[in-house]
Amino acid sequence: MGISDGIVQGFAVALDPVNLLYVFAGVLIGTVIGVLPGLGPTATIALLLPLTYTIEPATAVILLAGIYYGSMYGGTITSVLLRLPGEAASVVTTFDGYQMARQGRAGPALGIAAIGSFVGGILSVLGLMLLAPPLADLAVSFGPPEYVALTALGILLVTYLGSGSPLKSLSMAALGLLLATVGQDPITGTTRFTFGSVALFDGLDFVAVAMGLFGVGEILHSLERTDKVQAVTRRIRHIWPTRQDLRDSSGAIARGSVLGFVIGVLPGGGGVISSLASYALEKRRAKDPSRFGRGAIEGVAGPETANNASSTSAFIPLLTLGIPANVVLALIFGALLIQGVTPGPQLISEEPEIFWGVIASMVVGNVMLLVLNIPLVGVFVQLLRVRAGVLAAFALLVTMAGVFSVNNDSFDMWVVLVFGVIGWLMKKTGFEPGPLVLAFVLGSIMERAFRQSMLLSGGSLDVFVTRPLSGGLLAVMAAVVVLSLVMARRRRAAFRHVEPEGEADLGTAPTPGRDTRRTSDSVDTDVPSAPGER
Amino acid sequence: MRPLRPLAALLVTAAALSGCAEDPASVAADYPSEDIRLLVPYTAGGPTDIAARALGAHLEGELGRPVVVENLPGASGATAYTELIGSQPDGHTLSMTALPTAVLNYLANDVGYTREDFAPIGVVTQVPSGIVVPAGSPHQDLESLFEAARQDPQAVTVGTPGATNTHAAETRRITELHDVPLTVVPFEGNAEVQTALLGGNVAAGFVNLSQDVLPAIESGELRLLAVGTEERLPYADAPTFVELGYPELTQSTATFGVIAPAETPDEVVSTLEGALRSASEDEAVVEALDPRYVPEEFLGSADLAGLFTETEETFRDVVGG
Repeated sequence: MGISDGIVQGFAVALDPVNLLYVFAGVLIGTVIGVLPGLGPTATIALLLPLTYTIEPATAVILLAGIYYGSMYGGTITSVLLRLPGEAASVVTTFDGYQMARQGRAGPALGIAAIGSFVGGILSVLGLMLLAPPLADLAVSFGPPEYVALTALGILLVTYLGSGSPLKSLSMAALGLLLATVGQDPITGTTRFTFGSVALFDGLDFVAVAMGLFGVGEILHSLERTDKVQAVTRRIRHIWPTRQDLRDSSGAIARGSVLGFVIGVLPGGGGVISSLASYALEKRRAKDPSRFGRGAIEGVAGPETANNASSTSAFIPLLTLGIPANVVLALIFGALLIQGVTPGPQLISEEPEIFWGVIASMVVGNVMLLVLNIPLVGVFVQLLRVRAGVLAAFALLVTMAGVFSVNNDSFDMWVVLVFGVIGWLMKKTGFEPGPLVLAFVLGSIMERAFRQSMLLSGGSLDVFVTRPLSGGLLAVMAAVVVLSLVMARRRRAAFRHVEPEGEADLGTAPTPGRDTRRTSDSVDTDVPSAPGER
Repeated sequence: MRPLRPLAALLVTAAALSGCAEDPASVAADYPSEDIRLLVPYTAGGPTDIAARALGAHLEGELGRPVVVENLPGASGATAYTELIGSQPDGHTLSMTALPTAVLNYLANDVGYTREDFAPIGVVTQVPSGIVVPAGSPHQDLESLFEAARQDPQAVTVGTPGATNTHAAETRRITELHDVPLTVVPFEGNAEVQTALLGGNVAAGFVNLSQDVLPAIESGELRLLAVGTEERLPYADAPTFVELGYPELTQSTATFGVIAPAETPDEVVSTLEGALRSASEDEAVVEALDPRYVPEEFLGSADLAGLFTETEETFRDVVGG
């Protein structure tokens, strides 16, 4: 099927009334949870995962994807108005967005973020349409050795790029790999670490683990917050940016789109990294870098564009190779597996309605978000008045009911609770659950592929370097290790001479929980204080 | 299901009344006296689940009681079978089963049950298997493939849809019984084997000839070299292993059936067997199950029990070896 046929079919799926409703629900939920601090897209998708298996696979992914990119828009609102990143990827927006709001330019900040997100989203969808089908053709020749290289690269990238301390990330990734070995051996069928329990034969259920770590962990953690967030009542005027604003940010939006797209495709990429990279790029390119951190509109436009572009392009590895690029995509991978659809090279040809339908729904969803966001900013901000206790109790109820419904197995409910406590403790001690969950998902793919490679090669490790694709991927991996060391040094240097406020730890800690906590005077996602004080 | 309840209640009364009138002494007359649970050891939406739901709807009409399909996936069926044998052996809890997976699982692992703990009711569908190669493969027939393996023991890799199902075991039997060195490479499901075949990463695949693979064979993307049934299949153009000189290789067919816990009264088993038989003759049910997979002659309780024994004998020495 040609690309144009695909697009036509995609829009036929996306414009189906039921799917339209789900796109709308997805982007609305996404915006709402983007606004609410604490409950990010990962937790929300983890919580809603089991509920999606009663709907069509395409519709389920349309809904979850909507939540994902919707949250990228929503997170901006509180970042700008309250300096409270609603989700991780919006941390960067607080730097200049909040300063703009203080200067009475909250409107243009939100406006340019919405426009940038829209442009980034649409360009990224176009890239997805053009790039994914040929990549899927190529992916058919991907054999087990290539999957080993890819998954290893993914785990490496997520630990290097994803969080503050590489050591902590690596240890979590190692734990994830270890947890992935529970259950029947993929090649011989022998049981491992099951302690004689039939419930552990298939290993720990991914949905239950993810819901525990992200959902319940997040809920428990949010209950520790004692401060109540105060909503801004100040009216927001002049949402539409001025001609000057548009001129200033058009370059940032263009660069952000490309950068976000490229980073999103990389395993371990996605939201936070793309917005950080875009911010760093804009700052480096600027004639007067000292404007950054004081309300430079490029500092809002670039990162906001990039994070939305990356949230779209992150679908490429999932839909063509069956490899989730980041944790949110790992959850969407889970949603497809629950539906009995295994994402992989055959997805585009065998389930075209899923692939093209989801892509087309992204166009529709981005338009909806643009329309939703500009006039309704004030309404969304009011959401911050919902009491955390009410939200938490409700979310916990949905989680427990949801996880039971996947396998009708009460054992999974215990898994959720145990991992919920683990997730909560991890958050308190500064360990990220992201590398754990991604390594858990990729670990079983990697182990199976490694063992298959060994069977195919008769036990020789040469197979990984002699095949051009896996050899190339391994070379990329080596380059990443070298590059990340160099980059980390450079990034630290780039941010050193900026005013310390708000970005002191940027170079090393892109995730909000960590980096804002260490910066005493900025608002933490987890422990918000009354913003009026500043 | 809910709107059906009053109707079901009515049917029960009618069934009970007519039962009383005809044969008041029958022990099975008061069966079923409550709702029937039909456990499915696989996830909702899969082929076994669809079969169970079609069957459940028919049984509901036959037996006059709601049949509640319950998915208890996991552990190659052990989750569902453990639940089954822990319930009252009165015919109100039944389970779908898949052979030879169910047998291979208890042979390889300590799951706490064997076939002795089940009362087989009957066979619902049988899905055959076969050896396929990609269209570009140099091997036009099975002999050519096996000859290549004898020439170079590393040469022929065979992708199978799982580590613990029949295909891996059956491929190892080829190696053992006929001295054809084949390397088994387990994948997860037919679709992955298919991708590996098309990408040239395995030489051949031993797969279920289920609805997801048949289109690729019909379109010529995959070439079917041999099927693992006694007789040739009407819908797939390939010789059987038997006629190619491998008479033992008939154990790869997957059999889906219904079982109850052991100790279930014989009258109840035969009532259920009768209901299954009528399902296999009902056009709507057969259509839902896919007519290609419904056995021409109905296989009842004794036949399914025979299959359990035969499977166990065939694979006892292969598994874990």
